[in-house]
Amino acid sequence: MTENATSRKAAGDIAAPAMDPVTFEVLRNALINVTEEMALTIRRAAYSTNIKTRADFSCAFFDNDLRCIAQSFAQPAHLVSMATIGPAAIREFGPNLIEDGDALLVNDPHRGASHLNDIACISPAYFQGRRLGFLANMAHHVDVGGSAPASLGINKELYQEGLILPPTRVASRGTVDQNLLKLILANVRATRETNGDLRAQLSANYVGAARVGELAARYTPDGLAKFYDELVAYTERWTAADLAKLPSGTWEAETFRDDDGFTDTPVRLKARVTIGDGRIELDVSGSSPQLASPINCTRTMATCGLAFVARCLVSPGISINSGFLSRLRVTGPDGLVCTAMRPAAVVGGWETGQKLTELIWLALHPAMPDRVPASGKGLIVNLGFGGNDPKRGEYYCYMETVAGGGGARPGKDGPIAVQTNLHNTENAPIEEVEMNYPIRIARYEIIDDSGGAGRFRGGLGVRRDFEFPYADCTFTILSDGRKFAPWGLAGGRDGACARFVLDPEGAARELPSKVTLTVPKGGCVSVRTPGGGGFGNPGDRESAALSRDVRNRYVSAERAKSDYGSLKDFAGPVARRRP
Amino acid sequence: MGRTGSKRSYRIGVDIGGTFTDVVVVDESDGSVKVTKVPTVPADPSAGFIDGLTKALTDFAVDPGAIAFTVHGTTIATNTIIQGTGARAGLITSGGFSDILEIAYQTRPTLYDIFYDKPKPLVPRYMCIGVRERIGPDGEVLVPLDEEDVAAAARKLIAEGAEAIAVAFLHSYRDPAHERRAAEIIGEAAPGIPVVQSAEVCREFREYPRTSTAVINAVLVPKIAPYLARLEERLVELGLESGLHLMTSSGGIITSATAKRLPVHLVESGPAAGVIGAAFVAETMGEAGLGRKILALDIGGTTAKASLVDDGMPALADEFEVGAAALPTSTSGRGQGYPVKMPVISLVEIGAGGGSVASIDPGGALTVGPESAGANPGPACYGMGGDRPTITDANLVLGRLNPDYFLGGALAIYLEQARAAIERDIARPLGLDVDAAARAVIDIANAKMIAALQLISIQRGIDPRDYVLVPSGGAGPVHVMAIAAALGVETAIIPPTPGLNSALGLLATDIKQEIVRGIFEPITAMDVEAFRLVVEELNMQGRALLAKEHVDEDDMELMGEAEVSYLGQSYPLRIRIPAEAPNPLAAVDAAFRDAHRRHYGYASETEVSVIRNLRITALGRVERPRLKPLDQGDGDIGRAQKGARRVVFDAAIASCPIFERGLLLAGDVVAGPAIIEQMDTTLVVPPGASVRADRAGSLVATVKQGS
Repeated sequence: MTENATSRKAAGDIAAPAMDPVTFEVLRNALINVTEEMALTIRRAAYSTNIKTRADFSCAFFDNDLRCIAQSFAQPAHLVSMATIGPAAIREFGPNLIEDGDALLVNDPHRGASHLNDIACISPAYFQGRRLGFLANMAHHVDVGGSAPASLGINKELYQEGLILPPTRVASRGTVDQNLLKLILANVRATRETNGDLRAQLSANYVGAARVGELAARYTPDGLAKFYDELVAYTERWTAADLAKLPSGTWEAETFRDDDGFTDTPVRLKARVTIGDGRIELDVSGSSPQLASPINCTRTMATCGLAFVARCLVSPGISINSGFLSRLRVTGPDGLVCTAMRPAAVVGGWETGQKLTELIWLALHPAMPDRVPASGKGLIVNLGFGGNDPKRGEYYCYMETVAGGGGARPGKDGPIAVQTNLHNTENAPIEEVEMNYPIRIARYEIIDDSGGAGRFRGGLGVRRDFEFPYADCTFTILSDGRKFAPWGLAGGRDGACARFVLDPEGAARELPSKVTLTVPKGGCVSVRTPGGGGFGNPGDRESAALSRDVRNRYVSAERAKSDYGSLKDFAGPVARRRP
Repeated sequence: MGRTGSKRSYRIGVDIGGTFTDVVVVDESDGSVKVTKVPTVPADPSAGFIDGLTKALTDFAVDPGAIAFTVHGTTIATNTIIQGTGARAGLITSGGFSDILEIAYQTRPTLYDIFYDKPKPLVPRYMCIGVRERIGPDGEVLVPLDEEDVAAAARKLIAEGAEAIAVAFLHSYRDPAHERRAAEIIGEAAPGIPVVQSAEVCREFREYPRTSTAVINAVLVPKIAPYLARLEERLVELGLESGLHLMTSSGGIITSATAKRLPVHLVESGPAAGVIGAAFVAETMGEAGLGRKILALDIGGTTAKASLVDDGMPALADEFEVGAAALPTSTSGRGQGYPVKMPVISLVEIGAGGGSVASIDPGGALTVGPESAGANPGPACYGMGGDRPTITDANLVLGRLNPDYFLGGALAIYLEQARAAIERDIARPLGLDVDAAARAVIDIANAKMIAALQLISIQRGIDPRDYVLVPSGGAGPVHVMAIAAALGVETAIIPPTPGLNSALGLLATDIKQEIVRGIFEPITAMDVEAFRLVVEELNMQGRALLAKEHVDEDDMELMGEAEVSYLGQSYPLRIRIPAEAPNPLAAVDAAFRDAHRRHYGYASETEVSVIRNLRITALGRVERPRLKPLDQGDGDIGRAQKGARRVVFDAAIASCPIFERGLLLAGDVVAGPAIIEQMDTTLVVPPGASVRADRAGSLVATVKQGS
């Protein structure tokens, strides 16, 4: 809270909320805490690795005006998705038809959700017969049907990607609709996990509703409503004031994704960023039209990218709620690869969203050269697979993503082995994966020489090898980044591209970045994620830093010579350490 | 052990903080508590320990042979990690996984700060080596251990100067055979080098937290074991026969023999003692109910620590991170520090204490801490060569501390040097008078401490106004009233010896050992008799461990818990194992389903439940010190007033009355403005506030709101 107090003081021209400051802070944190407790509930009660371990979910609270008041999430990708689909679904269903103990499910990307795997669950909170608002959570389910395990398929239309849920009542006055649940479970591959995960989502809303009720008992429903108004207005004032302090103007940049998964044609992405008048806008006009491909991103996803960059540029104390989101806008026509409409397939849309986010940074580089990083991993790296589990005698289904190198930053090397920008899922512990699925992780390590050279070196990418010792499986890679490397900035060199290799210790066949294949029993898929781009001229790298790189094998001696020019400064210590 | 029936009659607690070493002596015959305080010797903390102990033995005429129990709390383990002064350690892992420390969780704990970096691994990449071996999730050997790989790795690490080696193989929680064999091979290749096996330190699944815990232990052993050995020797030289116990992160105590092998248990030792001390004092309050919900604020010389205690139970966490900046949230914030997978008292620590240095930063703003003048050279007023102004100097300038009665007069301090430092470094650059400059320093320090308290209350949705504030540490009572007023807290409880609260806490807890055994079997597939046998075996192990810690059979208490989840879930619920139930398995199963319904609102009656771990907590009960109650007074506080002096609150008060705490009796009420002095601290009572002496020995302060 000092952070908030200080930042608020620093903001200077921001009028303080017209409320007793202690109650304001208590409520602000108490509501975030409600969503935090919901998150903890999902995580602890969930069954699938993607939710319980990799934390691919988020929780939110909306008031009766359907304004987003509090959110908790580890995935910035959910920044805007939740705030969009929650109100859209409630409005479409009819807020007054949603009774105490009800829950809705929705996952339709073209109604404002993310991709089909992200199922949102929405319930009201009541206190003494009066509705206080709505709780919602969104979790990435391991499978929602469709053409391939984990619903990761190289498809052309949404209808091939899995079960589409419009706002649908799954629980009525506390009782789950078993017919609907059966219908959903009949359409998915990992029945037991999906069942458990859906229950975890319902449970989270139940916990959240109880907590909001307790707050109403203490602060009264009117007291809470007054607080919502104050919070949203105050957050908007502060966001606007912070954005007004940034350089104003319009800047643009463009880049490409490798291909659409069917042809070799690169996909153009274009970003025109305007800051001014306490607002930030992204115009995506000029990007490729939407494609018959899974890499389309929706306007909601594109807005997440803008929200992420904006959030990095304003004070850390600013809460994420409607007040913050109201200062951002994505413009440009519908029907582009960044503003895809029905019937576009979207499951790989975050691969486009991630690159678009980097592109926003790139556009801003001339405006704020000391705040913009080089390009990093710039991908999600979706990996999905499934098949028969001979140990348990059931169909299993698994999805994971792998970290990579972060882009080098002005004044700092890029971080090694991290998720970047919109994406922040944890790794699945190898012990947990091997205990629950018939697979073996054969290697998990960082890739030498993958960071782009620079005065500040790009972060290193990661290699993770998936082996299938017990049975064959259907494996999908839905990614990108094999052709266009992460860019360096200010003279820094590019980072290494992604690679996907079948049987790395045998035939070592290179795989495309978007493919579904059958991996035979005993086979292995090796995933190597990109390194980050470098920042600044490699010749300016401090010799001590380069020497440390070589000693730790981040940079090989050969590459030290070829990329950085000279070994003279550190050849001594290296030679001494090698007897 | 100081239990009834023993003819010996003293217990000693020694707490080494960043600035002072506190020694508390409890006389078991009458419950009287005697305390002494000496400067910490950062270069050799054991010297400060022995200085303080020797002084206490002399001052209080205690026969070393009559000491039954000695407990030590220390920040040495934390400081070693945070300051990066740990031993040079190597790590041997399963082949293909040697980058585990670099990769960590693969996330960034701070989502929106692109300049954030993960903490630097405690072992550099060139000292992490993979060897050929692999054990599967069912404990099956997939690749036999390549013994030559291990020997070669050990030789290479020794050549690189390793002082300790951690071994952490995949699935070793299931079968530690490869780790054990590797340790033997390393022992042969490098006789005498400490080897830490991950499953021995933390027998739990999920490789990164377990490996991290082992690595921290490896980094600590070469630093902590010799320190403890040196201490033990010197205790024997002084004639103590009590042995030495240490406080662990979870607030229990262990013998020094265990601590030398597993120093990772000591990481939060010092802070835990302070919380236990505050909880103990609050529990003994004469007024029922007053001490049930407390915020403990321990302000030492270097840092301040905030924690929360409900009904005598400090909030605990299963896992924590050394060096993490703040409390992580449920979904983000993991990975800011180095994970330690073991139970810990949950608290927030910030860099603001009596010795924190005040300065003007390059931007022209006044800052306080985290840099500390420590005990040497110490604050400017110590006159020991330090000339930079600290929080202590500011309090002295404002008349809140007595230059002639610091540590009961044992340490001479110099008002003029404090004034000069504040004048030169703060007042002149800011264009303020000295009083205003000193007040600004205190305001900034208070704001930091308020933020720490808010982190553990408001940020967790808990209203601090429902709690009482219990200050401790030498500087706690100096600041407590202003902090309570800012938080809206109405009542503060000032313990009898706030400056020695941590040391007292060392004597107010039990010997605690935990045994964890992985089961990973569905309850329905288990045999009741076999289950009973395993539980009994673990109980036997617990008793054996306690016996090693010299606990009498009568004082042992064992609590068994099963960690149960549905098949497929990863976060089990802890279920008590009912020892007497006719079918303990069925009872555990039913209790699990009930608990699941309570936690999550539903429970399947048909799905398979799995016991993941059995966990036995073995407690050796240690009798609490019985503090001597205060005599009832006649209400005339004149007996305790020892003078008056100029003290600056919001405004200067020319003649503020000064009281001697030791002369206050039960029922006495002191109205602010007033200063109440005692050997180990000073209570500052601003105008409008008042203080009443409770029969149990604490002071109960009523805070003036809105000041």
